[in-house]
Parts: sequence; structure tokens; C-alpha cells
Amino acid sequence: MSAATRPVIRIENLVKRFGGFTALNGVSLDVYPGEVHALLGDNGAGKSTLIKTLAGVFPPTEGTISVDEKAVNFRSPRDASDAGIGTVYQDLALNGLASVTRNFFMGRELFVGPPIFGLMRMAEMDRITREEMLKLGIDISDPSQAVGTMSGGQRQTLAIARAIHFGAKVLILDEPTSALGQKQQMEVLKTIKRVRDLGHIAIILITHNEVHAELIADRFTFLSLGEVIGAGTNADLDSADMRRLMAGGAELAHLSEELATTS
Amino acid sequence: MASEAKTTTAKRSESDRRQRRGMLAALINRPEIGATVGLLLLLIFLGVVAGNVVYNPLGIKNNLSIISQLGIIATGAALLMIAGEFDLSIGSMIGFAGMSMAMMLKWGLPFGLGEATPFAAFTITLCMTLAIGCLIGNIVVRSGLSSFIVTLAFLFILRGLTEVCFRTFNEGSTQISGLPDFKESDWFAYLFGGETFQWLFDFLYWIGWNVNRLGNQWVTGLDARFAWWLAISVAAYIVLSRSQLGNWIYATGGNREAALANGVPTRKVKIGLFMFTAFCATVFAACQVFDTNTADAAKGNLKELEAIAAAVVGGAILTGGFGTVIGVVLGALIFGLVQNAVFYIPWIDGSYYRVFLGTVLLIAAFSNENIRKRVTGGL
Ligand SMILES: Nc1ncnc2c1ncn2[C@@H]1O[C@H](COP(=O)(O)OP(=O)(O)O)[C@@H](O)[C@H]1O
Ligand SMILES: [Mg+2]
Repeated sequence: MSAATRPVIRIENLVKRFGGFTALNGVSLDVYPGEVHALLGDNGAGKSTLIKTLAGVFPPTEGTISVDEKAVNFRSPRDASDAGIGTVYQDLALNGLASVTRNFFMGRELFVGPPIFGLMRMAEMDRITREEMLKLGIDISDPSQAVGTMSGGQRQTLAIARAIHFGAKVLILDEPTSALGQKQQMEVLKTIKRVRDLGHIAIILITHNEVHAELIADRFTFLSLGEVIGAGTNADLDSADMRRLMAGGAELAHLSEELATTS
Repeated sequence: MASEAKTTTAKRSESDRRQRRGMLAALINRPEIGATVGLLLLLIFLGVVAGNVVYNPLGIKNNLSIISQLGIIATGAALLMIAGEFDLSIGSMIGFAGMSMAMMLKWGLPFGLGEATPFAAFTITLCMTLAIGCLIGNIVVRSGLSSFIVTLAFLFILRGLTEVCFRTFNEGSTQISGLPDFKESDWFAYLFGGETFQWLFDFLYWIGWNVNRLGNQWVTGLDARFAWWLAISVAAYIVLSRSQLGNWIYATGGNREAALANGVPTRKVKIGLFMFTAFCATVFAACQVFDTNTADAAKGNLKELEAIAAAVVGGAILTGGFGTVIGVVLGALIFGLVQNAVFYIPWIDGSYYRVFLGTVLLIAAFSNENIRKRVTGGL
């Protein structure tokens, strides 16, 4: 699918234990620029733990994470975002009462004069906000409108556009469609597709919904009980495989038996 | 440009439609609209029932004096409320600062360091009040307790301390009066207790409006506190609506988690604003002390509540993230005018001021909630 050959992120044998509980037991996966990598699995499979480790929230117990083929050791979410890993959590970190522009630049305002009391370059910030949103297909005619007036899909796009503008090479989206209505889910999927089409950004999409994953993902990793139970590209897997893998580890034995008898 | 517009309109959807309702809708969504209409009605009413007392040079001076006094502390209260916190200690802080300055002016610097100049008395007092503001802010952000409770505690603590200091160091009396008239001899005292905008009143005399019965110039200028109110309001306006800090204040009050996740130092913002309200209270007290040359342990009583009421008229909501400085200016104008009006309109009982204040507060709170719902699409 993608011409990229080198993974922007390589996770090797990642183990994460919480006390005696093994949440991740030797997970490996590669993420390529310009691709959507869907991370699928049942509740408790370890998806959130995996991305939180990647986002610098937890240190890994064992294993390595490499960004651009260099091993990294994140001590905080800040480290991860400085390395270009942008995480868009479900609450999106937006302030509904403030304008689109004020949200886009929240904490990273452009200003003239001294920091803190310096005056914001509002016209420039408005222009950048509009342009960055337009790249993802949302035309905000008035960047001074409150974020609270935007649809759920547009808010998601704002959070994504902000992460990209401030240097994310890898975008982690945690269940971006789960809290939305049908129409807005499609809007978000379109946004994700546009981000992929930018070509230089890798997307890790966490989802419960294998239909959504099938629609836009290039690569899949299925997690169950902290282990990878299946992985492959869109070409490798058909819908039936995906549904079985979604069902989890219990079905896996059954599936491989079935494969063995048919071959 | 034109072709760009054509291609982009095709992709518009849903919430962009909100933008097409035009100027009127945008105006109605401004938090200041209700206060502006209210103020205009009030000015007309005052003109009808007491035009001869209000719309003359002395009436303007007296009204602006009361308005400025309220406006100074209301600005501090409003910025803090926009950041999502609350300060009930403003009134007690005024009493404390006034006591501290008057005490030094009368009895000299602490530890027998000699006479206190107005500059020294003010500066030492400001250091203390800023330190107390910083302490209150730190307690609030570190403990996670509601600022309502923490500042209520300081309302009692500071008022009590003020009374104790008076009784201990002022021969048992809770008042100081008859201080030398520093504003006549000292430029620094004049900054707070003197007059400002004399040129305007000279001009009004020149055009023949500002003339008393003897044919001389009637009013010489506005109280200095008007200049302080103007300066504080302009500075607060620029900071809140234009500066980086302004965006941090809105973000801190609007959604603290989001602000933190985006690297806004919300704790520092809040502590700084608690110090700013302490600064406003100190300026209020200095204007009073250097104007009247007196101090009293009861000074500033209940002023925090008037300040909060004016902030609410300015669009501030208890949960934060909303409000404007222009709105606060309007709130101070409305409450100041009415507070003064009950004195010169004999058929209105003075206590109706409180009835009015309460009613306007309620109306403002309802309208803020409505605007908030409209702006956030009912979130
Ligand atoms: N901080 C933690 N401490 C202890 N156990 C945890 C912690 N976070 C997650 N877990 C456990 O790890 C397992 C995987 O959780 P999670 O990564 O949230 O799964 P998913 O996101 O796939 O639903 C769960 O059994 C969960 O209880
Ligand atoms: Mg999860």
C-alpha cells in the first residue's frame, strides 16, 4: 500500500507488568508513515496500556521502543510528544467555551513581546488554524466561533489538526469514533483518511469496530490477553479472518485447527 | 480569493451554518449586551427623576468616585472568576491594607525604624497583601479545597487580625482619623488621594458649564481613583483579550484538564490572580486612606460581594471560562450609579440599593447561563 519501507515506530517484545499482573506479554509491532495501523482487541486486551506506554505515561517493564530506528526511553508524556508522538485521547483536551483558534494554540500561543504578557498574533493564529483545518477537509469560516458550537467530528478534527501542526509524526487515536453518531463517525474516518493521505504521518487507530478498521486501515494488529494473536496488511486478511481475530484468543485455537484441516 | 471562496463553500457543513445568522445574532451572544441595555435604561431613568443632580460636573465626579472604587476590585474578582476561582477575602483585605497603611503613617515604621513616608507605608503594605494573596492561592491550588471555603476563612482571619492590630497598637481604638493631609505635600499620596482629569474640568469651566453660583470654577477634577480604575481596566482588558496570559486565564477556567494537557501552567495562573485581587484591594484601600486621611477596622466590609456581583454582570460565571472586562466596567457603572442614586433621590429608601443589587445579580446570572448554553450549543 505505502511506499514507505522504514517504520517510524518499532515496538519489540514489549512487556508491561503492573505488580504481578502482566498487561502486555511481549508485544511487537511496526508503524509506517502514511499508513493507518489499526489496533484491535477485546476489552482488557491491553490496547490502552500499549498506547500509554508509547505515549510516555508508563515506562515499559521490558522490551524496546524505537522512533526512526533509535531506541527511546520516555520518562514523561512530554518526552513522547517532543519525539513526535501525539496522542488524541477521548476527551480531546478542548475548552468548549473558547474559540477554535484559542483552542488550537492553547498553551502554545504565537505572540509578540515578552512571554506571558506578550500580545497574541491573532490574525496569524486565525489564518494558521483555518489552513490546518482545511487540510483535513473542515472549512471553519469563523475561527472565533466557540468550540462548543462544533460537531463532535469537527472537534476531533481540531484536536488532530492541532497535534499535527505542533509536530506529531505519529498520531495515536484512542477510540475516536466511539462517542459519536453514525454521520459523525464517517466524518472522523474521512479526516483520518486525509491525514493518511498527507503521506508523512503514521496513525495508530484504536478501535472496537472492525468495520471501521477494515474501511481505512492498511495494517492490523489484534491483541488478546496482552499478546498479539494476529497481524497483517489489508491484503493478507479478509473479513472472515478479521471477525474471528476480533473474537479473541479462545477462537484462535479453533481457527488454526480449521486452517490445518483445510490445507 | 473569489475562486477559493467558491470551492470551499461547497465543503461546508453543519455547524458552519451558525455563522450565517449575521450581525444581530453575534451581538446577542456578546456577554455585555444585557448590561449595556440595563445601563442605558438606568441613565435615562436617572435623567428623568434626578437629571439636575446627576448630569452636572459635581454629579459626575461623585458618581465616578463610587463607580471607580467598585470597578477596581470588581476587575480583580472577575479575572479570578474567569480562571474558575473565587475570592471572598477582598473586603477584609481592604480593611487590613487600610489599617496597615494608616498605622504606619501615624505610629511610624515597624520595629522603630522611624517615620513612614506614604511611599514606604504603601510599599510595605503591598508586599504583605501580595504575600497573603500568594498564600491563599497556594492553599487553594495545593489543597484542592474550594476557593469559596479557603477565602471565607481569610475573610474572618484578616478582619480579626485587623481589629487585633488596631486594639494592640492604636491605644485600643479601632479607628484612626486626623492623619496629616499627605496628598497636599507628597506626590505619592497625591497619586491615590489627589485629583485627576483637571484639564477636562478646566475645559468645562471654559465652555461655561462647570460654574458655581459665585461664577467661579465649580469642580476642579475627578478623584484619583478614577485614573486607577481606568488604568487597571485597560491593562486587564489588554491582558485578558489580547495576551498569552489571557488565553491561559480562559483556558484555566474553561477546562482545567485540557489546559494542563496543553502545557498551560494553571496553578501559577491562579496564584497570580489571587495576588492580583490582593493588589486591587490594596489600591482601593490606599485611595481611601490618602483621600480621607482616616482608617477604620470595618472598612471594606461586604465589598467582596459587591465586587463579585459586578463581575457576574460582566458575564462571569461561577464555573469559570467566561466573562469580559468591558462587562465588568458596565457592572461597576450600573451598581455605582444606583448606590449613589439612593442618596440623592429622597423618595427611595437607601436599602433599596441592596434589593436592586440582588435582583440585577439574579437577572445577570440567568442571562449568563443562557449565553453560555447558546455559545456551547447546550453542552
Ligand atoms: N494502571 C494499572 N494498574 C493495574 N492494572 C492495569 C492498569 N492499567 C491497566 N491494567 C490492566 O491491564 C489490562 C489491560 O487493560 P487495558 O490496556 O486498559 O485494555 P484495553 O484498553 O484493551 O481494554 C486490564 O486487565 C487492566 O485491568
Ligand atoms: Mg482501553
